[in-house]
Formats: sequence, C-alpha cells, structure tokens
Amino acid sequence: MPPVELWRSLDDLAGDPTLRELVSREFPAHADEMLASSRRDFLKLMGASVALAGMTACRRWPSELIVPFAHRPEGYVPGSTLQYATSLDVGGAATGLLVTSYDGRPIKIEGNPSHPQSLGATDPCAQATVLQLYDPDRSQGVVQREGSGEPAPRTVEAFTTWARTHFASLDASKGAGLRVLAEPSSSLALLAIRERFARRFPGAVWVEWDPLSRDAAREGATLAFGRPLRTHLALERADVIAAFDADLLFDDPAALANARAWARRRRAPDDVMNRLWAVEAGYSLTGGSADHRIAVPSVLVPVVLGRVAAVLARAGALPGLPPETRAALERFSSHSFDDPRIAALARDLAGAPGRSAVVVGPRQPAAAHALAHLLNHGLANAGVTVWYSEDPEPARPSHREAIARLAGDLNAGVVDTVVVLGGNPAYDAPRDLDLAGKLSHVKTAIRLGLYDDETSEVCDWHVPQAHYLESWGDARGWDGTAGIVQPLIRPLYDGMSAIELIALVADGKTTPGYDLVRATWQARLPSPDFERAWRRIVHDGVAEGTRFVAVAPELSPGAAAPIAALADAELPRAGTYELTFSRSASLHDGRYANLGWLAELPDPVTKLTWDNAALLHPEDAKALGVKRNGDRVAIEADGRELTVPAFLLPGQAKGSIGLDLGWGRRRAGRVGDAVGVDAYALRSSDSLWRAEARVARRPGTDALASTQDHHIVDTLGKREQAIRAEELVRTGTLEEFLENRAFARERVEIPPDAPLWTPHAYPGHKWGLAIDLTACTGCHACTIACQAENNIPVVGPAEVRRGREMHWIRVDRYFAGDPAAPRLAFQPMACHHCETAPCEQVCPVAATVHDHEGLNVMVYNRCVGTRYCSNNCPYKVRRFNWFNNHKHATAVEMMVMNPEVTVRSRGVMEKCTYCLQRIEAVKIAAKNEARAIRDGEIVPACAQVCPTEAIVFGDLNDPESRVRAAHDDPRCYGVLEEVNTKPRTRYLARLTNPARGEA
Amino acid sequence: MAVATLERPSRDNTSSDPARRAPLVLAGNDYASVTEKVCRIVEVRKPPRAWTLAFTIAASFTGILGLMVLYLITTGVGVWGLNKPVSWGFDITNFVFWVGIGHAGTLISAILYLFRQQWRTGINRFAEAMTIFAVICALLFPGIHVGRIWFEYWIAPLPNQMSMWPNFRSPLLWDFFAVGTYFTVSLVFWYMGLIPDIATIRDRATTKARRIAYGLLAMGWRGSNRHWHRYERAYLLLAALATPLVLSVHSVVSFDFATSMLPGWHATIFPPYFVAGAIFGGFAMVLMLAVPCRQWFGVKDVITPRHLENMCKIVLATGMMVGYAYAIEFFIAWYSGNPVEGFVFINRAFGPYAWAYWTMVFCNVATPQVFWSRRARSNPWVIFAVAVFVNIGMWFERFVIIVTTLSRDFLPSSWNSYTPTWVEVLTLMGSFGLFFTLFLLFLRFLPMIAMAEVKAIMPAPHGEAHR
Amino acid sequence: MTQQGPNTVFVFPAWVDELKPFIAAAGVGLPIYLVALVWYGGSPATTDVGYAPQQPVAYSHALHAGELGIDCRYCHNTVEVAAHAAVPPTQTCMNCHTNIRGTSPKLAAVRESSATGMPIPWVRVHDLPDYVYFNHSAHVRRGVGCVECHGRIDAMDVVYQAKKLSMGWCLDCHRNPDAHLRPPEAATQMDWEPPKGVDRTAFGKTIRERLKLAPSEDCSTCHR
Repeated sequence: MPPVELWRSLDDLAGDPTLRELVSREFPAHADEMLASSRRDFLKLMGASVALAGMTACRRWPSELIVPFAHRPEGYVPGSTLQYATSLDVGGAATGLLVTSYDGRPIKIEGNPSHPQSLGATDPCAQATVLQLYDPDRSQGVVQREGSGEPAPRTVEAFTTWARTHFASLDASKGAGLRVLAEPSSSLALLAIRERFARRFPGAVWVEWDPLSRDAAREGATLAFGRPLRTHLALERADVIAAFDADLLFDDPAALANARAWARRRRAPDDVMNRLWAVEAGYSLTGGSADHRIAVPSVLVPVVLGRVAAVLARAGALPGLPPETRAALERFSSHSFDDPRIAALARDLAGAPGRSAVVVGPRQPAAAHALAHLLNHGLANAGVTVWYSEDPEPARPSHREAIARLAGDLNAGVVDTVVVLGGNPAYDAPRDLDLAGKLSHVKTAIRLGLYDDETSEVCDWHVPQAHYLESWGDARGWDGTAGIVQPLIRPLYDGMSAIELIALVADGKTTPGYDLVRATWQARLPSPDFERAWRRIVHDGVAEGTRFVAVAPELSPGAAAPIAALADAELPRAGTYELTFSRSASLHDGRYANLGWLAELPDPVTKLTWDNAALLHPEDAKALGVKRNGDRVAIEADGRELTVPAFLLPGQAKGSIGLDLGWGRRRAGRVGDAVGVDAYALRSSDSLWRAEARVARRPGTDALASTQDHHIVDTLGKREQAIRAEELVRTGTLEEFLENRAFARERVEIPPDAPLWTPHAYPGHKWGLAIDLTACTGCHACTIACQAENNIPVVGPAEVRRGREMHWIRVDRYFAGDPAAPRLAFQPMACHHCETAPCEQVCPVAATVHDHEGLNVMVYNRCVGTRYCSNNCPYKVRRFNWFNNHKHATAVEMMVMNPEVTVRSRGVMEKCTYCLQRIEAVKIAAKNEARAIRDGEIVPACAQVCPTEAIVFGDLNDPESRVRAAHDDPRCYGVLEEVNTKPRTRYLARLTNPARGEA
Repeated sequence: MAVATLERPSRDNTSSDPARRAPLVLAGNDYASVTEKVCRIVEVRKPPRAWTLAFTIAASFTGILGLMVLYLITTGVGVWGLNKPVSWGFDITNFVFWVGIGHAGTLISAILYLFRQQWRTGINRFAEAMTIFAVICALLFPGIHVGRIWFEYWIAPLPNQMSMWPNFRSPLLWDFFAVGTYFTVSLVFWYMGLIPDIATIRDRATTKARRIAYGLLAMGWRGSNRHWHRYERAYLLLAALATPLVLSVHSVVSFDFATSMLPGWHATIFPPYFVAGAIFGGFAMVLMLAVPCRQWFGVKDVITPRHLENMCKIVLATGMMVGYAYAIEFFIAWYSGNPVEGFVFINRAFGPYAWAYWTMVFCNVATPQVFWSRRARSNPWVIFAVAVFVNIGMWFERFVIIVTTLSRDFLPSSWNSYTPTWVEVLTLMGSFGLFFTLFLLFLRFLPMIAMAEVKAIMPAPHGEAHR
Repeated sequence: MTQQGPNTVFVFPAWVDELKPFIAAAGVGLPIYLVALVWYGGSPATTDVGYAPQQPVAYSHALHAGELGIDCRYCHNTVEVAAHAAVPPTQTCMNCHTNIRGTSPKLAAVRESSATGMPIPWVRVHDLPDYVYFNHSAHVRRGVGCVECHGRIDAMDVVYQAKKLSMGWCLDCHRNPDAHLRPPEAATQMDWEPPKGVDRTAFGKTIRERLKLAPSEDCSTCHR
C-alpha cells in the first residue's frame, strides 16, 4: 500500500494555495505566465513563482527555488515516477488502471495488465479522466440553494451537521419519503453500506439510473432463462461472430477484453481467422471492422436475426427447439424484408456450431436478446463462446421502470428527501419525466457531484464529489473481477466520495473512505494475514478469484410469444424516419463534456470534433434537401423538436438517422457549455434508444469542426481520394493473401533505389514501429494516450475548423469500395521517422535532424518556425503552434503536464517523437545496470494503450524483436515508399475474411 | 492624365545604323535643358498635386502595414489564415512576387549596359530604384512569417554558445544569401550611378541644407577626369558583378520549391521559368510606373515612346516564355506518368482554385498578346492597363503554385483549403504602400533620370561647357 | 582647398576627403564589432558564471565537504540512480545537527523546517533551461566527476556557478571526453589526480575504452 504520507506532504506543497496567491497578488497580470514559465515539474514551478514574487533576478531566466521535503518518504526518489493500480467504475463496470504519478501528481493513466477487463489497454475516456482531476471547473465547495435557488457557499462541516440532524429526523418515518437516485456502481463497499442504509431506512427506495442502460439484455435473459443473468463473451474461442446492433469492440462494458480476444484471432492469418458479421443502422467501430456489414434500420435488426434463426431452424441447426418457438420463427420468413446475405450468415453460423457467437446490443428489445440466447443454445455456443453469470443485483428493477416510478412518486408528493449520487439525471433522464422540474420542487434534494451541473442547479444542497483519483473505493469489472480504487492525491477541493456520503446517511457519522473500504474487505478476506492480502490487492489493483462463477441456465419456454412479436416490426411510416440514439464515442453519456481532450477527439467515423450531428444516408439527405455537411435539419420526436446540423454518412442505413447523446450541456463548465446539441431532449422513457421522427430542412448551415475532408466537395477531389485510399490502406481478403502473401507490397510499384551516396548504417539501436491495420479498430485510444503523454494542447473548435488540430497521432478514416455499401478503413498516422526525411533537408536552422538511432528528432528550442518542414512532409504529420496554446492554463491545469516532455512555446513545430522520453529513460536505466534493452521494454504511449495490440515498437536491429518480425511480415508495406522516404513506421496490410463467394 | 497617342517613332529602331534609329532624347533638348528638366523635379518647392495625393495614400498604407506586423508579432502567426497542410500562403506569395519585381532594374542597368543598349539610360535610374524598394518589400515577408522572429538570426552563420551552424542544405538559407547579396549589389550599383547626378544637384543647390545633404551623398564628386575614369571602371565592374546575380537570385528563390518533394513544386523547369517570369513582371512594373511619371514630371522627351515600345516588346517576349512554361508543366505532369503530379495539375485547372489559375493564365498569357500591335505598344493607356494585368497575373502565379500544391498533396486525409484573413490582405496592401512611399520619396528627392548617362548618348553639344 | 569658381558649392573642406578611408573601415568594422559584442556579452560565460545567490541557510560546502570531508553522496544520495542529484531533506541535516550545534542560531531555519515540515526554499544555482534534460546518474556512473561541472564545491563557502553550462560547453566534453574522465568510483573526489606521470587525457582514454563510452552528440540526448 502506498505510503499515505507521501501524497499528503507533497500535496501540501503542490496544492498549497498561499504560494499561488502570492504570485497572483504580486503580479496579477502575469501570474499565469510565471506559473507556467517553468514547467519541468511542479515543485520547481512553485519555486519559480515564489522566486519571482520575492527577488528580482538579473539573469536570462528567472531564478528558481528548490523545495525539498523536510522529511523525505522512505525509498522515494524526487523527480521520478511511480505507478499505482486503481479502478475506474463507469456504469457499474470497472476497468483496471495503472496511474503514473510524478512527485505526487497523477499525470498519466494506462491500463492495468493484470486486470482482465483492461489487459493493459484503456479507452480514450478512461485516459482523459486525469484531466478531469485538474479541471478548474470542478465544484470546489459545498453549495446550498435556498428556496430562491441562489447558491450560497457552505463548509463541509456545516453540511455534515445539517445532514446528521436531517436524516435523524427521517428515522421516525423509517425513511418512507427518502429516495436515493444513484448512478450504477459495482462497489462492494457501497453494497455493504446500503445494507446498513436499508436497515436504518426500510421505507427508503434506492433508485438506479443509467442513461446508457443495458437493461434490455437483463430483461432478455429473464425472458430466456427466467432470471436476469449477465452474458459474457469468450471471443477467443469464436470463429464466427454475429453482432446485431452490438458494438462489442468499443461501446461495451467488456470492450477492451473483447477487442483483444477478437484481434488475437485475426493476428495470425494462417490458423483459423475469425469472421465478424455486423448488422446495424449506423456505423459502429464493430461494423467498421466487420468482414460483412448489413446496414438496416435499427428496427429491422431483430427481423434479420429472426430470419437467420428461421433459416437455421429449417436446416435443423437448432436441435430441441420447442414447437411454439419454431412457429414463432416461421413468422419471420414471411417478413417483407429480406437480404441475400442473411442466408449466407445463417450458413456461416450453422457451419461453426460451438465456435460461433450471436450477440445483440443493448439498444435492441429484450425479445431480440432472448432470441440470441436461443440461437447460442441451439448452436451449442452457450458455455463455450458465450457464458452466463448471476446478476449481482437480481432484485433491481430496470433503470427505466425505476426512474419512471421515482418520477411518479415525486408527482404524488410522497417524497420529501432525494439524495442524488453522481450521475446527472436532470440532464440525462428521459425528458418526458421532467425530472429536473420535479427535483426542484421536492422538499430536500441533496446532490453529490463532480460539477455544479444541471442536476445540482435544481437541488438544495450540492456536495462536491471527490474524484476517483482522490478517494478510496472498490469496483468490479463486467466479469466480476474486483479491484481497489485508491487515491493518488489528496482531494484538491474538499470533496466527498459516494460511499462516504451514504455512510454519513446510513450511520449518521462521517467515516473516512479508507476505513469503509478496508472494513468491507476485512469481511471478505482471510482473517489471519488480512494485512498481507489487503496490501497485495491494493498493490495489484486486482483481487484474485473474484470473477463471477459461470452458470449453465436452462432455456425457459416463455420467450416464444415476445419473439414472435418481433416479426411485426415495420419500417417507420412514409414521411417519417427512424431516429436512433447512441453513446458519444468521446463524451460517453455527457459526463466528460468539460474535458477538452475528449471534446476535441475526432469521432472515429465522422471525424467531427466539438459537435454532434444528425447522421443521414446520402439519399435521405438528398430527399430532405440537405446538400452538404452542417446544413441544419429539425428533428421532431415525441412532440419535442431539435435543430441539428446534418452529416452525410456513407454506410448509414437508409431511412435511419443517428444522433449522439452527451452533447449540448448547459452547465458542464467553460469548455463544455453549449457544445453540440442535446439529444436527450428528444428522448422519452418509452423510446430510450429508438424513436419515430419527422425531419425537415431548416435554413442555415453550421460550420462543423472536422479533422478530415475539409472542403472536399468537388467530385474531382472525391474521385482521387477513393483511388488513393486503396493504395494507402491496402486491404485484401484472406484468400488473396494466401494466394499471394506479398499482395500489399505489389499494390504499388516501387522504383529501384539508387542512392547517390552510401546510405546511413545504424549499427546501434534502430528504432522502428509497425501498425497492424487488420487489428486496428479506429478507437482513437492512441490519440489520447499521445496527447496525455506529450503535453499536446487543445486548440478549440475555431482552430480545428481552420485545420490546426495538434494531435501527433491521428487516425485517418477512408471510405473504400462500393459507394453504396462502403468499407470503413482506418489508418493511424504519425511521424514516420523517415530515414531520408524530407523535412530535415529544408530546415534552415537544423531544428529537425536525424539521430544515430534513426529517430527524426524535432528540437523545439532550436525551431524558428518557418514551417518549411511541414510543407515538405508528405504525410503532413507535423503540427505548428500557431499561438501560445498554454497562455491561459492555470497552475492547477499545468499539473497534468508530463515533466519529461518540453511544453512547446508559440511559433515552433512539433510532432511524434516515438516517445523519446520513454526511450531515453530505458536506455539510461539499462546502461546504469550494464545490461541490454529487452524487447518490449520501451513502449510508446500509443502502443501501450492499444486494445488490440495493433502498434508494435522496438529495435529493428534486434532479430528477435516483434517489430523486426512485423517489418519482415509479407503483409508489411510502407506508405508512400515510392517517394523514397524510407519510413521507419510501416503498416501491415488489412486482411478481411469474407465468407466464400460473399466477398 | 490626358490621352496622348504618342507620336510614332518615324524610323526603324532595329536598324544597325544608329543614325537611322529614333532619337533617345526628343524635342531638341540639349545638355542644359535635360539637366534643367530633371533637376527641377527635385528642386521645385511644391510637388505636383498628383504626387502629394499618391504619397498620402501610400504613406497611410505603410502605417497599416506597421500595425499588421505589430499585431502579428505580438499574437502569433495564427492571425493569418494558414493551416496544416497550407503552411505558406500570402507571406511567401508576396515574397516571391516582390523579388520578381525587383528584377527589371538591375537587368536594365547591368545587362543592357553590357549589351550597349543605349536606350536603357532613360529608364535605368528609377528602374533601379524600383528594384531596391521591391527587394525591401520582399525581404519583409520571410522576415515576419516565421514563428519566432526573435530567433531569426539563427539563420545567419554567426558564432554562438550552442556551437551550431545553420543547415546549409536548406534552400531557405540559399535564399537568405542570394537575396541579401542581390540587394547589396543593387544598392551599391544604384548609388554609384547616382553620385554624379547628386553632385549636379548639389552644385545647383541654393540652400545650405541642400548643399550639406547632397554634398554628403555626392561624396565630394568634382567631375574631374580622374573621377570619371574611375567611375566608369567601377560601373562596368559592378555591371559585370550584377549580371549573374539577376539570373541567380530568382533561380535560387525557385529552389525553395524545386528542391522540395511536393508534386507541383518539384520541377526542374522552375529556375528559368521563374527568371523569365520575374523579368516579365519587373518590366510590367517599370511600365506601370514610367507611364504616369513621364506625364506628371514632364520628362516625356527623355523617356520616349521608343523606350516604352522596347519594354513592351520585352514584356511580350517574356510573357510568351511564361506561357510556354505553363504548358510544359502540364505536359511533364502527363509525360512523367506520376499520378500524384498529374492530379495536382488537373486540380489546379479544374479544382477548387481553378479561378485563381485561370486569372493567372488570362493576365499573363492572354493580355500581353495585344503588344503584337504597334498601336497598342504606343498607347499609354493600353500599356498601363496591360502592365497592371501582368502584375496581377504574376502575383496569382505565385499564389497558384504555392497554395494549390500545398492544399492537396499526397494524403487526402490532410487535404484542406486556405482562406486568407483580413490581416494577410491588409499586409499585402501595406507592402504596396511601403513600396510606393519609398518610390515617391525617391522621385521627389533624387534625380529620377540618369542625367549624366543620358547626356552621354545625346548628339554632341555645340561647344557648351558641361556642368 | 575648394574648387575656384563663381559659386563655391563645396561646403565641406578638402581634408574631409582624408576621412573617407576611415568611413569605409568603420562600415566594415562596425558589424564585426557588434557581432563580437553580442557573442561575448550574451555568452553564459558573462551572464551566468559566478552566479552565487544568497541561500536561506548559510550552509558552507567548504566546511562540510571540504574540511569535514563528508562525501557528496551523503546528502545528494540519489545522484547515482536518478536524473536529479536531489537536494537533501531537512531530515538529513538533522541527522547530525540534533546533537552538533543543536542550538546554533544559524540553524534556526533548519530546525523550524524540521519541526513544521515545511521545506527550506533553497535557491537553484546550476539551472539549465527547461528544455534540457540532464541526467546525473548517466554521467556520474560513467566517470564524469562532480567537479567537472560544479567546480571545486568543496572550496566554496557560498556555492556559485563555476562553469558555463552552455550547450557549446557540454558539446566540447561530449566531443573530446578524455580530458574529463576518471574512474567512476572517484567521481565525488574533488581533488582527484591521475596516477603520477600519467597524462590526464591518456588516462581518460583508457577509462573511455574500459567503460566503452561513446558520448552522443545527438540532439535527442538532451532535448525532448
């Protein structure tokens, strides 16, 4: 267990407001620059500010202070990094994380390799939470809103004393009028406290609400098995995967594990490569990676599933099917909708009994899930590629029912106290329930939240929530694996964690989170050497043997009727469209709206930043009179209307319109306010995921901030783009590959190399990188990892519109192949470290040069900013600081900076360095220990977080290294090799595995 | 100015017998009257109203330029419309444009001098002046377009604590030397030529102040034989020195593009193509200035129709060379069989920037064709109009080369378009302000015609002393 | 003497002509002079060497490292394992000073820090720009003595910057390290001399070959 003393004392230094105040008082105008002036580490930073405030320095740069510990913790080396294991619980499913801390400041979040739900990978959101920790817009103190709603600051003590008395007063009624509205949580500690809570307030109701609820799956399981089982996938065993409106590689509680397992089965194409079918309305990343994608409106997805089932049933591939179910399936055969590929899919599934998996996404009705269970049982997949576990909370009503009932109770006026734990129901609850309005009228509403947001606004008390990097807790992954949430820094603002608040309610006294968690685990861990076990769990971040036990349930016949009902699904009436809601790839359900990193992270498919848009099939767009992206359309659903910029998305199902949730926040903060449109406004409790909508063109066009396809409206450009996409992202089927393994290399003719001088020899190390396009799903985890590691600034929508985004590694997205059903192709693109780098020759001041290990080095402090290098870079991966991008960064915001990487000033060029700082760190360590560098010891940020291990870095001179193997792979090719740049970053061609005759 | 179809030169200027060519000084001017005519411009107390008006406008634009540069330096290059991939836009376009303008002067004074083209004498002085000022405007842009102006001196090979040299492989560095040298030599050349005439003005000076001012500039010129002897020598040497520079400087500027690897830039034809274009644009600018000046300052007799006509012919010739270069570019793009190269040129002619491309073609290739007609060559209005068109065209040529190429290079994912901001537009206008301010000051305070040289090509005087 | 004639136009006496050569000379010389001025005036040798800020505690290296001969690593104990040769925590001072001079007014600040836990704000003397990444362990373990960059600290009552610490200065050593190398174990030994009769450079060469040192001149070595 990390020494508590450590961050306490360090935090005293770092967080100490007096220092900051001092500077601000002395130099109000320049406080920021001065605090920012020295960015190597925060201690120095504080030093500089004091120095400036105190003395006048007659030197080229301000003199700095060194402020060592008074008592340095045992074994702690100043200026070095430590990693701590913790967990992030989102929507009741946790991901294991390793958080890097520099002198007591968490600065980087990566996956915890020993956690089965992370395996060392992370998604963009989890990584960005470190930015949330230092978000200056987080609420910084308790606020009370009297009847008038005027916020008045209160001390935590004031609140706790008030709370004690208030909840004591509820004892009489056994808490009959008490409701807790909580976001889903997998915390065992919370469960324990809830028992105490229930004992004290038997009359109280615990309401759980998740705007991205996956309860349809639960209900589906109830239909199929008679009880709400949780479904898990073991894709490593699956040869054929059929995803029905299920984004199991990205938008799934087990996405990281799924992606890893899926990719492993595509990596070595010689043994059986799996095949992925996707049936969906909008383009998900799973659809993008699929070998076959059937684009149908969301409402028809169950019909496709049903038809597949019917075919299988007829073919007798589903033994032991009860007659009524068989009859139900027959109804699908007569459905008006059909597609030749359905038969192929059925054939494919039938051909792989026990080696296939049928997956249905949370946006589909319960019956569809039941049908999937039916198929998996029939195909003998249950227990092999798909397994089940008991639901941790079987008694819980579905989110939809729960929130509706709460709204009812609020109406009826039987509720006098509501405690809102996290979440943001006033913003994301179904609008027809008008929860915001109802909360504002309830007698006492207490809100625990990171931000003083839409919900806090209508509550009487707002209590700042401690960030998970500031507080103790525990959380379970989707598969049940439990891990500890441990703080890396003392709360920057006096915050409280959910368990602490509930403990206060339940016990009437404040208990430190640490004690609560420890107590919970004391009960679960062996008593004799608890201390050792506990320390191990805290250290590893994973508790062994806490995974859910698999159960082998029996199908119950009850499902037939609802399944049959699915066959009645019809397309929306003429003149109306189907509107589907989806999670925002970057902002999740809206909780991350104020994080610049994520707001500026391009949507993987549309490449939109700082905005969401109505995704239209080009033909629908034409019908609506939408000419180009950004044209406004009005969407009217359930009596509420919303004006949204439209976006023409090839591959979107005709008649279906996609819209991302999580945007258009009112009270997110300085970054996130009024960014995008609030899709929740159209959401009703009976149409959480799909609504019938009327759409009409509205005058006006919004300038969307996209990081790709700026101004490619002319046919000339479009045509050329299509041609080049094939050469850039070289794609071939498995068959083609087995026929000619070097097909990718032969795709473009490379003129023979006749150098004028003897090329450089690289005797020592020879760094290189390889990216496997077969594995890349385009999730953009690498982009954020790079941003966090390399202090890459956020520039804002206006600058992105100009084409000035700063991401060092971007993920190029191309639509290839048949325009009617285009293939999605992703290509991560960063500096290629060309051996004959065009950028180096043209720099007048030698600010970008080669080093002896073949790195193309960009020396910021030498750059004068002619931008000639960028012009001459064929990959256009160089980024220029058009302004001082850190001008307005406050001291707290600067705390997220990585001290090992120079923060670039205005007017200099920057680019990918292969994470030079990581290379140097390992090199020096290895030299000090007089040993060679092991392969895989140096891992660039992008490679570290990649869920599918698509990025490999290493020494090309090491014959054993994985990167060497990758570069020797027959699939390996270099982009634009023909211009003789000799890139060190090379790609492995993308292989697809379409069913025979279906390519 | 009043429309005056110029009296046609009665004789054949191409004849090998000088006597049969049109005279280079008309209306029977003699030495004294030439001196009088030219010096009066500098000596009159009140300048022509046209001058005052022009100067006021020019000066105010120079002020705007100053503000724009200040804003740029305090805020960052981001105030311009540049982006990734288009990292160069108006800045380098203007630079190349102005350097091009700065070609005619030295060409006229040096090369025509070596070729014994006597008609140069009438125009060389202010053509040279124009060169100097154009190059000043040119140097401004690479100066201000960098991200960290305060470190720009790193481009110069100076001793430093980093013990770092600049990168001598970089064309920008070659630029730095080429343009720098060209500027220095042109300046010295121009000043050399000025000395005798300044002396003349000094001698005629009536006020002490003028005597001291012009006295300093004249550097004690007494017109002695020894002076004249050395002067002629030095002038010849400088001419010889300047001649290769005329060709080198724009060749080097073209290397900025030619040595890069971008389709549309990476072309071996660039050096000659750029030099031809520069002379083309330069002469157009000379014409644009000469036509009104000879009117306002009454020196029609010295800058004769023959001068104008000769220059029109040069414009016509170089214009066709430029047109040929445009054609060749397309041919090579197709002939090389390089698809990326091919696309760039198709895109130039039919892509989003087609309008710019066709403006360029119209101005540079179509308009000069009117000079096939002698009547056009002798109509100041036509000459002036064509000159203006050519200048516009030449600016667009650089814009097209730079922007269309950058906006769509290898990876479609990074394609983008470029729109200048108001800052860039005002900066461009400001640079014209600066140019004209300097030029107008020159007209007002220095002899705009090389009196000494003009006299040298005039018929022998009738025993009158030369002063 | 000015020229004869009806109107004397020359306002400058003839001897002014004598000045012309000098004017020419100045025209050439001035730029060179300015360059030289900036070069020397702006060089770290001028601006930085000798920088000796006043420290919150009058700690004398001359006394502790010199007279008492305490090894550098007793206080700067991370120098061999980390980039920073960490300035010691107050605790390190108190190890001795609880007993020795326990009441000396000079040590008031130290005692206070130790009591309150608030650090002593030392002023940084050897301060490289933030874009320079120097690693102590990489040098000390390769036979570069403390004295090479810090000078005779053991003779300083108030620590001052003894060397230029400029990029050129770093490169000088990276290019010809021999004259600056010593056995790694003698890294902290301020007055180390090569064995009698052995030339320093020659000795350094043997060290370089023994430790297989090839100091890098790559930008990436120090700039990230």
